[in-house]
Amino acid sequence: MSSATDLTQDFEELSNLGRAWRRFLRNPAAVIGALIVISVVVAAVLAPLLAPHPGHAGSFVDFRNRHIAPSFAHVMGTDNVGRDIFSRVLFGYRVSLLLVVGVLGVAVPLGVLFGLLAGYFAGVVETAFMGFTNVMLAMPPLVMALAITAVLSPDLVNSMIAITCLWWTWHCRLVYRVTKSVAAEDFVEAARLAGASHFHVLFRELLPNCTAAISVKTTLDAGFVILFGASLSFLGLGVQPPTPDLGTMVASGAQFLPEMWWEAVMPGLAILYAILGFNLLGDGLRDMMDVEI
Amino acid sequence: MRGDPILEIQGLDLGFAAYGQVTQVLHGIDLRVEIGQRVAVIGESGSGKTVTMKAVIGTLPHPAGRVLGGSIRFQGRELLTLTRSERDRLKGTDISIVHQDPLTSFNPVFTIGQHLDDVLRYADRRLGAATDRAGRQRRVETTLRQVQLNEPERILRSFPFQLSGGMRQRVLIAMALLHRPQLLIADEPGTALDVTTQDEILRLLNQLVSEEHLTLLMVTHNLAVVRQTADYVYVMQAGRIVEHGPTRAIFEAPRAPYTQQLLAAIPPLYGTRVQRREALTTDAFITASDLAKRFVSPRHWLEPARPPVTAVRGATLSVCRGDIFGIAGESGSGKTTIARMIMGLLPPTSGRIEIDGRSIEDLRADPAFRHRIQIVYQNPASSLNPRRTVAETLAVPLAFARSARRGERADRTRALLAQVELPAHFASRYPHQLSGGQKQRVAIARALAVEPEILVLDEPTSSLDVSVQKTIIDLLLALRTQLGLTYLFISHDLSLMRNFCNRIAVMFRGEICEQGTTDEVFLHPQNAYTRALIASIPVISDEEERAKPSVTLEERRAVLASTVQL
Amino acid sequence: MIASYLARRAIGFVFVLFGLSVVIFVVARVVPGDPARIALGPLATAEQVAQLQQEMGFDKPAIVQYVDYLGRVLHGNFGRSLLTNRPVSADIVEALPATLELVLFTLLLIVLVAVPAGVLAARWHNTWVDNTSRLLSLLGVVTPGFVVALVLQLFASLFHFFPLTGRLSPNLGFIADITRLVLVDSLLKGRFDVFADALSHIFLPSLALSAAGIGQVMRITRSSMLDVARRDHVETLRSFGVPDWLITIKYMLRLAATAPLTILGLEFASLMGNAFIVELVFAWPGFASYGVRAILSKDFNAVMAVVLMSGLFFVVANLLIDLLIGIMDPRLRIRRT
Repeated sequence: MSSATDLTQDFEELSNLGRAWRRFLRNPAAVIGALIVISVVVAAVLAPLLAPHPGHAGSFVDFRNRHIAPSFAHVMGTDNVGRDIFSRVLFGYRVSLLLVVGVLGVAVPLGVLFGLLAGYFAGVVETAFMGFTNVMLAMPPLVMALAITAVLSPDLVNSMIAITCLWWTWHCRLVYRVTKSVAAEDFVEAARLAGASHFHVLFRELLPNCTAAISVKTTLDAGFVILFGASLSFLGLGVQPPTPDLGTMVASGAQFLPEMWWEAVMPGLAILYAILGFNLLGDGLRDMMDVEI
Repeated sequence: MRGDPILEIQGLDLGFAAYGQVTQVLHGIDLRVEIGQRVAVIGESGSGKTVTMKAVIGTLPHPAGRVLGGSIRFQGRELLTLTRSERDRLKGTDISIVHQDPLTSFNPVFTIGQHLDDVLRYADRRLGAATDRAGRQRRVETTLRQVQLNEPERILRSFPFQLSGGMRQRVLIAMALLHRPQLLIADEPGTALDVTTQDEILRLLNQLVSEEHLTLLMVTHNLAVVRQTADYVYVMQAGRIVEHGPTRAIFEAPRAPYTQQLLAAIPPLYGTRVQRREALTTDAFITASDLAKRFVSPRHWLEPARPPVTAVRGATLSVCRGDIFGIAGESGSGKTTIARMIMGLLPPTSGRIEIDGRSIEDLRADPAFRHRIQIVYQNPASSLNPRRTVAETLAVPLAFARSARRGERADRTRALLAQVELPAHFASRYPHQLSGGQKQRVAIARALAVEPEILVLDEPTSSLDVSVQKTIIDLLLALRTQLGLTYLFISHDLSLMRNFCNRIAVMFRGEICEQGTTDEVFLHPQNAYTRALIASIPVISDEEERAKPSVTLEERRAVLASTVQL
Repeated sequence: MIASYLARRAIGFVFVLFGLSVVIFVVARVVPGDPARIALGPLATAEQVAQLQQEMGFDKPAIVQYVDYLGRVLHGNFGRSLLTNRPVSADIVEALPATLELVLFTLLLIVLVAVPAGVLAARWHNTWVDNTSRLLSLLGVVTPGFVVALVLQLFASLFHFFPLTGRLSPNLGFIADITRLVLVDSLLKGRFDVFADALSHIFLPSLALSAAGIGQVMRITRSSMLDVARRDHVETLRSFGVPDWLITIKYMLRLAATAPLTILGLEFASLMGNAFIVELVFAWPGFASYGVRAILSKDFNAVMAVVLMSGLFFVVANLLIDLLIGIMDPRLRIRRT
């Protein structure tokens, strides 16, 4: 009976995750991205141990050693008050990652929740949420963040608040789109017909279908949050000295261009390095999970 | 000269290269088409028939598609040794192809006129003739009239989405005919269309072949279609030709087991092979009286109001307990709308529905009602959550239907899987690890989990291979006997319903135009649409052909005219 | 048809602008600290602060303040700048053309570079052409605007091809009074020396501003073209021998262009943001650098006006892009029959 062949037709026993992992490893760019991200995280976490001159991360002056070009002793040179730039970069990564965790830790859950609700319930809820989201999305984020940090005093927490206020809308819109298309699939109606509650449908049926898109976007966003935070501090509205921050370092180093180019370029490259890592990793995840963002 | 070969394929071996390896897909294909002949190549998906056609036309993916040996000669010229530009010169001018899917074969943002003009202009240019736009337009309009499209100017100005499926298919035929090709290749003609429209398209092809002295090479998976439209048949399986011969010989005395299998899989409409079902009881279980449903499209205040769409009007039907009640109709007939109203998912605009004596309004308010009627959807891929295992999908109805504790649930899951003939270890699989038929069985298991009395089956087998369809139907029949279920079977496939349902209601544009036992509807159809519908179903023997209801030409044209609007 | 499609989008955007004004108002007014005192500095007396508060209308209830504010804004009155002591609207009108010119030139640069690059990368998929352009676009996306700007300035100072700052060399004595856009007006008036000078000034800032946009648009164009290339209708045209170049440029591009255009609309938001940085670094006299100064000196009226203007730019740009998409894709404007 051909039913027998139908039943014994066996598929690869490899799970979802196993196959995806192999696809990921075959993508060199993604692997590089992952390595970069890991190095940045390690650098940030272990900064006090890895930095050759950990004391330079605070207020420290050594005028004899100012403006030294990159050399063996100071891999990235020293700045205008003699601090080792490489050490400050490592500590600067701390600030960047703190920003990422702080912003995405709030923005992603908030955006996901609102996106799910708007996409599933439609009607008034949808119009209200998405209307509000569209207004927020129409505001150039940097501009709004500048305005917010200007009226509050500029520091790390306020920058986080400013950026988070705007960031959750991107995740909201993404999840809203995915939810809307998934909610139209038959299995959602089937679950409701079987007696599932709205809570079950939202979090057990719809949310798992969104996780791929959310993880890709979150990874890419980590890079953009860092970029954003650096732009804010470049303009003087982020973290205040003497806390080492990459954007501020570029800004103060900019005055000494072009002779002491390393003081602006090195921190700039450090920012670039981190963003590149998250971007490559995010792209790799996107290819691996085969989602469209 | 009639009788001479226009196309000769000899010993063709073809493969695809991927990651350094070559997989051979065609093995020693020998095929011969004579001038003026109508030849059909039959094969299921994966048989290699489409690849063969691509090799003839010259649109194999490059460089993945490799010819490993053999020859293809067109009018005596060897095609495989020609250069790319020489090959290109034949496209559209000597050899033309009518593509399969009229929906996706057009670029949606360009008008029909632009498509046809560009095709004609570059065909002219390849032959060295530069023509002017007005001249081309005249030729295009003439060709459109030839394919029975009577308002060529309007059609040329339209975008593809503004035309019906049948019209688009005719435009594709016109596109192929623009330059008077010698050989016309038709890829699954009419498969994506309704049965009545498909019938018309096939008649059109026949007519064109005789009027224009064309040679037709048709590729299809549907053997029955071929009976009226081919003189000679080749049967392909897994990259080889397993049988070939004149049409009559293939149908009356097939030699290869695969051909016999294909013929056996086509459900009969008439004759002794038909499987007749009897009603189990006569107690009315589901009744609908004068049911109607109007959809008002939500309108934006800036746009003029659009008239409401009447999906169903004046529908009255009666289903007895234990019936396999079929609701037949083509797309847009309202069959799914009626089923959703009976399920309580859509409130009717007017009319009454009663199930087991209780009105539908009562039942919609009663949560226990949910469990008496369940649905199995058409597309197994979208009816299961891709991120949940089979066990998790089945847990949803189990959890909410009975207060089953964890331990009990595992047993119930195993029992359900056994009921749909799936092994217990499938419970930990994800949908992507299941075949189409297996997924559909899981969908059936999910519907059965709440122990319903009525199962609505919405085209449950349309997206499955023919061989798998039969197994699912057998399962459904077994379940009906075991569990005393009543089925509401929605489909457009009348031959399937002939052998599965005991009562049928035929719907056309929202109205039930014919209703009765399956025998009554097929042997003595009253309504013109029903007769036209049954008459356009391709059958495989002359006896069946004779048993079909007769339809006059005017009736057929009238029915077609009203369907073209859809 | 297309009018109603646009009208729908426009109305949506009007709501967006209203919402924007509300949010800006709320942000500006819900401020810890006293804006009047901040503006006047710690040495001001209580009476001076109270007087300024009354002038600025801070003693009235919030709703009334908002309505007043909205009324004034709709008349183009943004109040007085605390920094320049002129009406903010005058400041903005003066600074607007410079930013407009920069933004338009940047958009032009993005479209002229990114779209052909994306088409070519898709056409020569997986070859060195593809890989190089993907690398370059990746760099564009990941490099922060200020880093690009500084690097460009570095090269400018080393190689002396382009001027470092400003919009026009001071000694040319040219007033753009027709469209207020120097590039356009200089051509209209036949002064090619001015045109060349303006071009050399605008090139670097524009390049800095466009880097991220080029990167994003190029990638989306590439993937969109690859996606369209797989579709059946491309195969249909090929089987009739229609030449590949025609299929790519006419048929595929029109269909594939919707995605990059939409992305361009979204990119506009970050473009506006980066404009602040670029104008600052290159001392470009536009309203964005005006805005930075206003923010740093907590000049409220100016800040609110600048934020509103940026939002307006974004909305108008997206409306124009929607118009373009509507022209190219008839499915959006013609009802299915």
